[in-house]
Amino acid sequence: MAKLLSNPCCYSSSSTTFSCFHNESLCSSRNLAAVPISSHFSKWAPNNFTRIQLRSSNFELRSSNGYPLNAVSLQDEGSVDNPLAEEANFSDSAEGDSTLSITVVGASGDLAKKKIFPALFALYYEGWLPENFVIFGYSRTNMSDEELRNMISRTLTCRIDQRENCDDKMTQFLKRCFYHSGQYNSEEHFLELDCKLKEKEGGGLSNRLFYLSVPPNIFVDVARCVSTGASSTTGWTRVIVEKPFGRDSESSRELTRCLKQYLSEDQIFRIDHYLGKELVENLSVLRFSNLVFEPLWSRDYIRNVQFIFSEDFGTEGRGGYFDNYGIIRDIMQNHLLQILALFAMETPVSLDAEDIRNEKVKVLRSMKPLLLEDVVVGQYKGHSKGGKTYLGYTDDPTVPNNSVTPTFAAAALFINNARWDGVPFLMKAGKALHTRRAEIRVQFRHVPGNLYKHTFGTDLDLATNELVLRVQPDEAIYLKVNNKVPGLGMRLDRSDLNLLYKARYTREIPDAYERLLLDAIEGERRLFIRSDELDAAWALFTPLLRELEDRKIAPELYPYGSRGPVGAHYLAAKHNVRWGDLTGED
Amino acid sequence: MAASPISVSRHCCSSSSAYSNSSSTWFHQNPSKFLFPAASPKTKNGSLQFKGNAVPSVIFMQDGSLAAAVAGLENEAPWKKLKNGLTSVTPPEEKKQLGNFDVNDDKSTVTITVVGASGDLAKKKIFPALFALYYEDCLPEHFTIFGYARSKMTDAELRNMVSKTLTCRIDKRENCGEKMEQFLQRCFYHSGQYDSQKDFAELDKTLKEHEAGRVSNRLFYLSIPPNIFVDAVKCASLSASSSAGWTRVIVEKPFGRDSESSAALTKSLKQYLDEDQIFRIDHYLGKELVENLSVLRFSNLIFEPLWSRQYIRNVQLIFSEDFGTEGRGGYFDNYGIMRDIMQNHLLQILALFAMETPVSLDAEDIRNEKVKVLRSMRPIRADDVTIGQYKSHTKGGVSYPGYTDDKTVPKDSLTPTFAAAALFIDNARWDGVPFLMKAGKALHDKRAEIRVQFRHVPGNLYNRNFGTDLDQATNELVIRVQPDEAIYLKINNKVPGLGMRLDRSNLNLLYKARYSKEIPDAYERLLLDAVEGERRLFIRSDELDAAWALFTPVLKDLEEKKKIPEYYPYGSRGPVGAHYLAARYNVKWGDLGVDE
Repeated sequence: MAKLLSNPCCYSSSSTTFSCFHNESLCSSRNLAAVPISSHFSKWAPNNFTRIQLRSSNFELRSSNGYPLNAVSLQDEGSVDNPLAEEANFSDSAEGDSTLSITVVGASGDLAKKKIFPALFALYYEGWLPENFVIFGYSRTNMSDEELRNMISRTLTCRIDQRENCDDKMTQFLKRCFYHSGQYNSEEHFLELDCKLKEKEGGGLSNRLFYLSVPPNIFVDVARCVSTGASSTTGWTRVIVEKPFGRDSESSRELTRCLKQYLSEDQIFRIDHYLGKELVENLSVLRFSNLVFEPLWSRDYIRNVQFIFSEDFGTEGRGGYFDNYGIIRDIMQNHLLQILALFAMETPVSLDAEDIRNEKVKVLRSMKPLLLEDVVVGQYKGHSKGGKTYLGYTDDPTVPNNSVTPTFAAAALFINNARWDGVPFLMKAGKALHTRRAEIRVQFRHVPGNLYKHTFGTDLDLATNELVLRVQPDEAIYLKVNNKVPGLGMRLDRSDLNLLYKARYTREIPDAYERLLLDAIEGERRLFIRSDELDAAWALFTPLLRELEDRKIAPELYPYGSRGPVGAHYLAAKHNVRWGDLTGED
Repeated sequence: MAASPISVSRHCCSSSSAYSNSSSTWFHQNPSKFLFPAASPKTKNGSLQFKGNAVPSVIFMQDGSLAAAVAGLENEAPWKKLKNGLTSVTPPEEKKQLGNFDVNDDKSTVTITVVGASGDLAKKKIFPALFALYYEDCLPEHFTIFGYARSKMTDAELRNMVSKTLTCRIDKRENCGEKMEQFLQRCFYHSGQYDSQKDFAELDKTLKEHEAGRVSNRLFYLSIPPNIFVDAVKCASLSASSSAGWTRVIVEKPFGRDSESSAALTKSLKQYLDEDQIFRIDHYLGKELVENLSVLRFSNLIFEPLWSRQYIRNVQLIFSEDFGTEGRGGYFDNYGIMRDIMQNHLLQILALFAMETPVSLDAEDIRNEKVKVLRSMRPIRADDVTIGQYKSHTKGGVSYPGYTDDKTVPKDSLTPTFAAAALFIDNARWDGVPFLMKAGKALHDKRAEIRVQFRHVPGNLYNRNFGTDLDQATNELVIRVQPDEAIYLKINNKVPGLGMRLDRSNLNLLYKARYSKEIPDAYERLLLDAVEGERRLFIRSDELDAAWALFTPVLKDLEEKKKIPEYYPYGSRGPVGAHYLAARYNVKWGDLGVDE
């Protein structure tokens, strides 16, 4: 519901393509009057109902908007002077009619088990799902409903174990889970699924969400079958797909073209789960709701920006998929580039999905495609430490012995617009490194005419301010400032003004998948990637990727568990940058 | 001793030199890390003069780091380079000054005479601060401390009295007992009248004995009532000045009670002393976070664009004590909270906060900028002040007396124990920005802080989340001077979770958590600065004049009109009048918000 408010739902730009799902009966004047900002398009009506219902079942979040902050935090259960109260009325009458079904295609896969079902349960537990919902698992394996439930139940946990009614809730949730077995390319099988769905929907308004947790080569088949065999005739039908979205501009464009044969743009929800991370969501809040950052956010004050991703494990026997893509496609072209775009975009007209995505596309299109000289690639090799041996990348049996696929890459990117001209945006991503982390580091310029110059020595850039947003682990925001070391001298020190989430917020932070699933259900597209964004992203990386592969550029080898190839430092040095994560300070 | 500190202090590194000494133990532990290629001859001299407890070579190294203001141990790696890159610079004029004394002197001595040695301030603050400086090796090798007062006392009695209040800052530190013993051996007492040249001449004789023919530098700390300042200064100047080295006099507030009396006091003092012999102490300027204010402003780029009317909506300077006069209202009643706290401490902090960037960190450059701020301000209008006085209050069975219940206070006293005021600086940077001050006794807590409230975000995308009053959720920078030194910046961020609830949380730096070393008392810093001739934290005559010019009209007005203070209960949050004053300038006190 909070999302409703933060996003007044003006999906007008996409409305015309979606007419098949119009339901004129819902486009009543009452509806319009009650939700004046939400939707002028009847197709979204069911959608509104969903959110309104969520609102009533989840008070804490309901209280969030339309109030000064203080009021919010003080607000009590059951306050009725909510400006939205009137909407709640009509939602009651409407919710009985609509049903949401979520079909996880590829239900027996790893992602489904580890992420999707647990996320759905968490949403259910927290009261975010509409009253009438069913969950279907679909895959080729033969399984009964009971077997599916069994399988799912093993990975379900209540986020905080001691919370009440956990088992009850689980049982209720599992009762709503069903299974249908079928081929991914068989329209017939999807028609059978359609029948089962209809049965559960009981003739009312039906909204259907399909989560394609299947290999990319069968995306299109599934999309076709869904579209022709199992679309909702009364409500909306949406399809969530996950990366990889092709492996270069051409294959990505081809995939998009094929999907669009069966689905319209606004039915496709391309997930980038990094965009669902708490701190990435918070990035825009920080930027746009704090005056103190406003004057700083440009080349005038920012010297460079760093996007850093590292994992402390390798492919560990699952290199088959990875070897075909490599770290640049797996992490940089999507996750890091998306964060970069959010970081660097101009202020959008509003927080609406289309406005935000318009700004992101502008950033991507203002960037030059990467040059080989601005990239360093690496691959981890075997390493023994403390009597333990860690396997190199090519020791992985699922990886060809002569693979030159990068498991590490660092790159320098530039945005040629008025705000960012000349500011290096550095990216670094790698597997099998010494630590696991994802963070954004913003290094500010040095103080011109610094009165304390004497205390800094010759390299003024070593003691500049730095803003760090740590996405994982241990979400935190901190700002490095120079201050005086207490005592009689005048020694300066860089210390942190910090906010450690763990310390301030006891509530567990929801998994990115929860947020993204909920957004897809609510039709909130802000965190999903639009086709033109995807094109622009590939346009930046495709020439480089091609060159790397054509010339079979050998990656710089680095030991498993190390800090990565030193080449990354030289790349940074070329642009007069120093990696903020390897200074010994953090 | 005389040479080095002065020379360094002129370009404001006095403290660095102090640092290098005080941290000798630290260097001791890590000698290998601090091999400096060169130290200037000047610093080398300096090092010889300090009474270090380290071996000479270590001292040498440590002084090589003189200007090296570097990070703590934990992040030394990136800083190493800095340390090596540092140089200490002596502006040419200083070298001239140096010539006077000689430089090469284990021969010079410093004598610190505490005039009014039997008083409270001397016992509680001055002697302990001197000992702390000694303990940290900040005092020169040859120093003597004299107590001077009217009471008859022997040296042993003085030592006994002094020893009762000495503590090593951190109890378990080594050699504490030994150090105390050594310190007390250097303490002597001389009894005499404050207005007797003869008695001071005798003191002079005794001092000379101790100085044993070395170049003598003399510091007098006047810890006596203001009405005898001039007498004591006259005697000290005429009979006990150093003939070879410098003579300096530290005086503490009150510096008069209005423009006229302050000007008269200055004039009298100047009959006997030069401006640069007078060290007017404002101990708030010696507080760690007040010192840090300039560092924050001028060494962090992120604050640079923010520090003006364009981004700052208002600034609040807040001081509160959680106790009343408690039987010592005699002095206070004659002055009131505005003279006692606002006209000096808070106004000084305001000037530091608001000044333009000085040409350098030299004392004169900084004080020039401060004076400019003070002179750009309008005298406070009577309308812009609200005053209060605490009344008795019973809570939990304990009864707290009102101000006028204090036996030392006249029953009909109208002296404010609380005041709030709005001030304005009419210059390009601050035009229209209200600077609010608030100070009070017998309030619900003890604190001193600076709060900077920023403007709201224009065209905020998250307006909906804030409701109608956008000013409720603006950024705020808080510099807490006491208790628990801290700096924090209130920012808006998203409450983790599904949905979009915003929250104001703090980016913070709590000193206690980051710095385990105890923060030195303000008096230590100020005494050290006076010994070293560093004037940055002392108040110049023209500053004092400008400060009084702002407050004198309103003080006169209050007294002539016998304005009745608003009463507030002991231990409360002060009179509500302060809120109305703030409201008039569209300000909300930051310290009384729900999130504090």
